[in-house]
Amino acid sequence: MKSAEGNNHSSSEPLGTESIQLAQGNGGTLTKRLIDHVFKNKANKDLDLLHDAATVTFDGPYLSITTDSFVVSPPIFPGGNVGALSVYGTVNDLAVVGATPRYISTAFIIEEGFSLSTLKQIVNGMHQAAAETNVAIVTGDTKVVPKGSGGGVYINTTGVGDSQDAPIWDTSLIKAGDHVLVSGSVGDHGACVLLAREDYGLQGQLKSDCGSVVPLIDPIKHLDGVRFVRDPTRGGLSVLLHDVANETGFDIELIENNIPVRPEVASVCEILGFDPFILACEGRIVAVVAPDISGKVLAHWRSIRNGEQAEHIGVIVKNTESKGRVTIVTPMGGRRFMNELEDEPLPRIC
Amino acid sequence: MYSVESLLSDIKNTSLSKPFRILNVCGGHERAITRAGFRTLFQHNIHLIPGPGCPVCICPEEDIAYAIHLAINENVVIVSFGDMLRVPVEYEISGCSSLIDAKNQGADIRPISSPQEAVSIALEEPRKVIVFFAVGFETTMAPIAATLLNDLPNNFRVLLSGRLTRPAVAHVLESQPDTFDALIAPGHVATIMGSEEWQFAIDHHNLPVSIAGFHPESLLLSLQTLIGNCSNKVVTLSNRYPEVVKQNGNAAAKALINKAFTIVDAHWRGIGVIPGSGFSFASRLSHLDATNDYAPVDFPSQCDQNVPETTSPCEKVILGKMAPDACPFFGQECKPASPKGACMVSDEGACRIWYSSGERSITNVIKKGNTLKVEMK
Repeated sequence: MKSAEGNNHSSSEPLGTESIQLAQGNGGTLTKRLIDHVFKNKANKDLDLLHDAATVTFDGPYLSITTDSFVVSPPIFPGGNVGALSVYGTVNDLAVVGATPRYISTAFIIEEGFSLSTLKQIVNGMHQAAAETNVAIVTGDTKVVPKGSGGGVYINTTGVGDSQDAPIWDTSLIKAGDHVLVSGSVGDHGACVLLAREDYGLQGQLKSDCGSVVPLIDPIKHLDGVRFVRDPTRGGLSVLLHDVANETGFDIELIENNIPVRPEVASVCEILGFDPFILACEGRIVAVVAPDISGKVLAHWRSIRNGEQAEHIGVIVKNTESKGRVTIVTPMGGRRFMNELEDEPLPRIC
Repeated sequence: MYSVESLLSDIKNTSLSKPFRILNVCGGHERAITRAGFRTLFQHNIHLIPGPGCPVCICPEEDIAYAIHLAINENVVIVSFGDMLRVPVEYEISGCSSLIDAKNQGADIRPISSPQEAVSIALEEPRKVIVFFAVGFETTMAPIAATLLNDLPNNFRVLLSGRLTRPAVAHVLESQPDTFDALIAPGHVATIMGSEEWQFAIDHHNLPVSIAGFHPESLLLSLQTLIGNCSNKVVTLSNRYPEVVKQNGNAAAKALINKAFTIVDAHWRGIGVIPGSGFSFASRLSHLDATNDYAPVDFPSQCDQNVPETTSPCEKVILGKMAPDACPFFGQECKPASPKGACMVSDEGACRIWYSSGERSITNVIKKGNTLKVEMK
């Protein structure tokens, strides 16, 4: 998208292709046409200026900055697409440190031959997600790589947020007896993408939870007793909780019956041999809070969209071992440890 | 009909004068037992022992070596159930000690989850030879038989490594008399072969048998039945998965297996050669046999010796002689991401299951709870 030239070329000139051509990444006329047709968004003046860098305003002395790359396959999945995901993911990373997301920069690496209509759908997903979360996509870049050297489309987004009123949330604040809360069902995104890959010959009713967590953060942002908040993305609930246990040295005891897992997700996991607790979420948060406010946090969450299934799933427990562990009380009343993600999950044989 | 609470209290209130050792022979059962935390719930002298329940764990090394060889040296596409990809072999083939090694070196190896997917890949790639590495017990071999009996594309071949469960269980019981007190029979295999398949354990070994499903409730019912057998000094065959398991099994599935395959002696990793425990192609399907088209690979096979004395920890785990966490490599050199033995690879493998659910240090949990660590002889 980057161009030194102004914005006075007509965007009405036809692209003339249905798929991405290598020459559309060479920075010349074809690149300009691609930008005009696909990326430009009349609502966003900063982006449409096509300057080498965006100059933006800011309110306070502190910024939060985050960056993430999105390589999900397939790029379109039930409940979202990689474009929307690339905005929500970065917005969520800012939100869980208490920052107010403001600006996003993005870079696309597109494989030659990639469908133009899919690309439009992805870019549209980005703009919609940006509008919904009130962030501005202010600058961007596009590269095209030869067929065979890229997996369709890769998107990087960098996000900047205002953080002068951000609460200090950190695992070091966690105390024994604190409650562990989750804002909704776990594993939806991971299970949905697994199915959408079609490698498994299964069809399902699954939908990704891909979305903004800002509405979940806002009501608890200035609540005393919130110790730590994070979104369980790659590696799901398990990686997040193992990180907390490792960083704090506390054990975490979970009640399996309380952890919300949609029946469709449970079925897919049963058939393919996956553990829903290691599958990614893209619109959930986990919070560790003081026990006296956990009811309040849950009430806030349950009153808003995508928070209806929020649950108190476990407690922080002092332990005598050198390392914190994550244990589960099973529905039968037995105990086991939570599976710690070690290798890439592969479908099992039977 | 039965509440979980009443079953649990029934089991806990049964007094057993001596250890009661229950063998299970299905990875799905072991997974359900471990995930439900049954070993942390029952009294000290009830031992739940995993046996040879995972087709991936017992697939002989020479078959995996041959698949690696074909993928690397013969320009074929190997399609395989995903969990076969990480199973290690002791001697490297062209520098690879697993199919995933070969894949990382550029061999075309694709994980699948159904035989039909293998056929679809052959149709999509008409210029390549597709070799389907067919591993599994009866439950998997029935749909494989159905697929192979259909019209298949000319570029489709099979490396057949299926196994029958009953002969292996018979071998475990015969080779270790007085080691087990009861058997949980595999629900999926019984669905195909029928509950009558397990009558031999009663007739020849005087062991009570219960066929269980895969929900913890079904397993709990089976366990309660077996423990009840023990305290009442009776020996019964009980079917606790009656919604799918019939006495004679699934006639259509058995007919497909009989039409597609013949039964042969076969090598089991960690066990040796077990008579009548493997599948070979029926003559009508012999043209599908990949071993007709490609030279064998030079790999030291243990199957020349007849049922060798087992020494390695993996073999002891497969035979129910050792608990996974008693292995010196368990959770140390042998982990899911870097497995040393086959049982740490598949979700059906006892070591992988125990590792994933943390049974390696269950005593730590139990200190806070109310029960004791599992022990096995």
